[in-house]
Amino acid sequence: MSRINIICVDDQRDVLTTVSRDLQPLNNHIDIEECESADETLELIEDLDSEGKHIAVIISDHVMPGKSGVELLKEINEDNRFVNTKKVLLTGLATHQDTITAINQAGIDRYLEKPWHAEELLNNVKELLTAYIMESGLNYEKYMDVLDQPTLLNHLRKRH
Amino acid sequence: MTKSNIKKIIAVIIPLIIFLLPPSFFPIENLSIVEKRVIGIFFLAAFFWVLEPIPIYATSVLIIVLELLLISDKSFVLFMQGSDAANFGTLMSYREIMATFASPIIMLFLGGFFLALSATKYRLDQNLARVLLKPFGEKPKMVMMGLMVITAGFSMFMSNTATTAMMLSILAPVLAVFNPGDKGKTAFALCVPVAANIGGIATPIGTPPNAIALKYLADTGTISFGQWMSFGFPFVLVLLLFSWVLLSALFPIETPKIKLAIKGKFLKTQKAYIVYATFAVTIFLWLFDFLHGMNAYIVALIPVAVFSATGIINKEDLKNLSWDVLWLVSGGIALGNALDKSGLAKNVVANIPFEAFPALALIVFTATLGLLMANFMSNTATANLLLPIIAALGTTMTSLEDFGGGKMLILCLTFSVSLGMALPISTPPNALAHATGQIQTNQMSKVGVIVGITGVLLTFVMLYVLKMVQFI
Repeated sequence: MSRINIICVDDQRDVLTTVSRDLQPLNNHIDIEECESADETLELIEDLDSEGKHIAVIISDHVMPGKSGVELLKEINEDNRFVNTKKVLLTGLATHQDTITAINQAGIDRYLEKPWHAEELLNNVKELLTAYIMESGLNYEKYMDVLDQPTLLNHLRKRH
Repeated sequence: MTKSNIKKIIAVIIPLIIFLLPPSFFPIENLSIVEKRVIGIFFLAAFFWVLEPIPIYATSVLIIVLELLLISDKSFVLFMQGSDAANFGTLMSYREIMATFASPIIMLFLGGFFLALSATKYRLDQNLARVLLKPFGEKPKMVMMGLMVITAGFSMFMSNTATTAMMLSILAPVLAVFNPGDKGKTAFALCVPVAANIGGIATPIGTPPNAIALKYLADTGTISFGQWMSFGFPFVLVLLLFSWVLLSALFPIETPKIKLAIKGKFLKTQKAYIVYATFAVTIFLWLFDFLHGMNAYIVALIPVAVFSATGIINKEDLKNLSWDVLWLVSGGIALGNALDKSGLAKNVVANIPFEAFPALALIVFTATLGLLMANFMSNTATANLLLPIIAALGTTMTSLEDFGGGKMLILCLTFSVSLGMALPISTPPNALAHATGQIQTNQMSKVGVIVGITGVLLTFVMLYVLKMVQFI
C-alpha cells in the first residue's frame, strides 16, 4: 500500500527534531520526512511521487539558506501533481510582504508562528491530513485514529 | 510478507483451485461446466468480501467482469469451447449481466441518493433536526430520545453514514462540555450509531441489504415500499425504544441539562422549495403506490429528473454520489443472477438434504449466521452473499411453508444483517462513533450484542405476526 508522507523543512536540525517529536502520534500510519533545505525537499517529493507515495502535508520554515520557504511552497502550489497537498508555513521571521505572497501565491493552508505549541501543531496537521485523505479519495477507515473528527464528519456529511 | 499480501494470495488461490478442478470433483450430481465456473466466482466473491484484499465495491466489479468473461454468451473464445456439449450448461446473456449496473434496485437507490444529496445541499436535514429536537426539551434523557428518533428517521431515507456524520457533528460541542467522569457521554455517543443502524431497517432504501432483499422478494410476490414500512417502521420504533431504555440504564447521565445548539434557518429560495416539495411528493408516491400504480423504482427516478433539470443537483454534486455503494449492490445482483440462471443455487439446495432439518432450526440458523457475519464484514456484502442461497432454499423447502416460506426467510436474514453492530468495524456509523473517543470497544460490544440479539428475537415476533395476518 502506498504510504502517506508528511514533510518537515527547516535548516535547523533541532527544529526538525522537535516537529517530528510533536507529530509522533501520527507515526503508525504516516511517514514523517525531514529536509534541511528547499532543494532537498523538491528532490524528495520528486522521489516520493515517482514511487507513488502520497505527500499529504508540507510544513516549512521560511528563512533558509538558498530558496526560501514561501518560494518552495509557491513552487509546490503551482505543480499540478500536488493539488491536494496541504501547505503549512511555520516561521517566526516572515515579513508582511512574505506573508501576503504565502497566502496569495503559495496558497498556504495554515500559518503557524514560532515558537509553537505541540498540541496546536498536531491538531492543525491532523485537520490537513484528514482533508488530504478525504479529497484524495483514500480509504479513510484505515487511518481513523489519526484523523480529525470534525473535518472527517464534515466531509462524510456531503457524501450520499 | 505483509498481512494484506497473504490475504490477497488466499483470496485468489482458493477460487482458482476450485475453478481448475473437474466438475466430477464436486459432490453435486450433473454439475455443468458453467455451474462449476459460477462456484468459482462465488467463492472468489466470498473470500474477497470477507478478507477484503481489495475494496468491497471493487470485488463487485470483478464479479461482473468475470461473469462476462467466463459465463456470458459473448465470453472469451477458449471458455466457449464445447458449449454445445450436453453437460456444458446455459450461458447468460451479456446484456443481462451488464444490465445489473442499472437494475431497478440500483435506480431505487439512485433516487434515494438524489433526495439525500439535495436535502444536505439545501440544509433540509440540519434544519429539520433543529426543529424536531426542540420539543424534546433540555432534559438529557429526553434529548437522547430526540437524537435517536431523528437519527433513525433520517437514516430511513439517507445513508446511515451521512446521518451519523451529521448527528455526531451536532453532538460534538455538547460532548466536549460533559464532566469527565459522566457516563452519559458514552450514552450520547453510542445512541447515534445505534439509532442509525436500526433506522435503516424501516424502508427499502434505508440500507442496501433491504434493496437487495426486494430483488429476491420479487420472485415470491413483491413487497411495495409502503408494505415494507408497514412492518419495518413499527419494528424500528420498538427496537429504538428498547435501545433508549438500555442505554439510559447502562450509562446513567449525571448532567442535569443539555442544550444542543443547531444554527441556521430554513432556506426560502425557489430551489429550496422545489427540494421540500419533491421530497414530500416522492415519499407520498412511495407510500401510496396503490393509488397511482407506479412502483417504487419508477417513483425513485422522479427526484432524479426534477433535481437534474432544475440544477439543484449539478455536475459537481454528481461526484458526491456513492457510486461505490451502487456498484457494490450491482455485483451482488449479478452474483445472484448467475447462481439462479445457471441453476446452481437450486442444484446445490437440492443436493443437500435440508428437508431433514427442522424448519425452525433453519430459521434460527439463518438469523444467527446473518447477524454474526454482518458484525465482522459489510452488511451489504453479507446480504449479497447469503441472500441468493437463502432465497433458493426458501423456495424449495416445503417445510418452511408453515412459517411463511421463502418470503419469511428472506426478511429474517435481511433484518438480522442490519443488526450486526457489536464492533467498531461492524458498520461505518459504529466506526465514526468509536473514533469520537467517548466509547470503549467493550461498551459498544455490550450494547451491540444486546440490541442485536433482541432485534433478532423481535424479528421472529414480527415474522410470526406477519404470518398470523397472512401477509407472508
